[in-house]
Amino acid sequence: MNPSAWLLTLSSLLFTLGLFAVLTRRNAILVLVGIELMLNAANLNFITFWRYGRPDDAANGPLFVLFSIAIAAAEAAVGLAIILAVFRHTRSTDLNRIDSLHG
Amino acid sequence: MTPLLILTPLVVLAALGAIWKARPVHAALLLALTLALHAVLYLVLGADFIGLVQFMVYVGAVAVLIVFSLLITRPGDEAEEIARRPRSLATGLLCTVPVLVMLADLARLHAPSGTSPAAKRLPIAALGETLFTTHAPAVLGIAVLLTAVMIGAALLARETRGDTSIKDAPQTPERP
Repeated sequence: MNPSAWLLTLSSLLFTLGLFAVLTRRNAILVLVGIELMLNAANLNFITFWRYGRPDDAANGPLFVLFSIAIAAAEAAVGLAIILAVFRHTRSTDLNRIDSLHG
Repeated sequence: MTPLLILTPLVVLAALGAIWKARPVHAALLLALTLALHAVLYLVLGADFIGLVQFMVYVGAVAVLIVFSLLITRPGDEAEEIARRPRSLATGLLCTVPVLVMLADLARLHAPSGTSPAAKRLPIAALGETLFTTHAPAVLGIAVLLTAVMIGAALLARETRGDTSIKDAPQTPERP
């Protein structure tokens, strides 16, 4: 197996693990942990395609990763602020209990 | 290839711990380890700058932010979390295994063939130049986004009057 296929398989595995966490965890903060894992799997894809892709590709992959990291940091900050605001109202971060918008 | 063969199982094990540990703080610390191993992976692949940015932003800021939020919210009932494990495992596997199969197949089909140079270095000067010439509007957009996020997060986390936390506090008699 060549290194690029190996790394892309690793990244798909990490993405799936993140998706598993998002679907099964009940604590809202740990759902965010799953989302971070999925974002990192995507970043690994960018770096892999930059490293093993076309030789004349100077820095497009890493550039994308830089922007992705900045946006992921923003997402984590807003996500955690929302979770803290919800926690202050409901005294819980359990997603099964936060159901006041439930029909 | 050898460093990759060593790093890959470590990354997978750390990620497995991060999604499976019942104690939230352990899960968050294992996430920090996963992110740090990602940074090492980037260093091995030749993207030094990205590895360092990953280390500073993800391990230094995002993971610590998550640990702090866990300390503030004090999540409990790990026993309940463990009790519902079998059901959540079945649901999770049912939903994620097809995705994994599809992604792994795509990775096998579309992986670039091994015609790349033996070692590739990220040209940091060229990266900086493109960032501040071709992609300058995007950098400005990110700057605006981060400012908006900073203000928005502060507003969201601010304590307002209608909150239960204030109701819980001992009542002081109102002034006439």
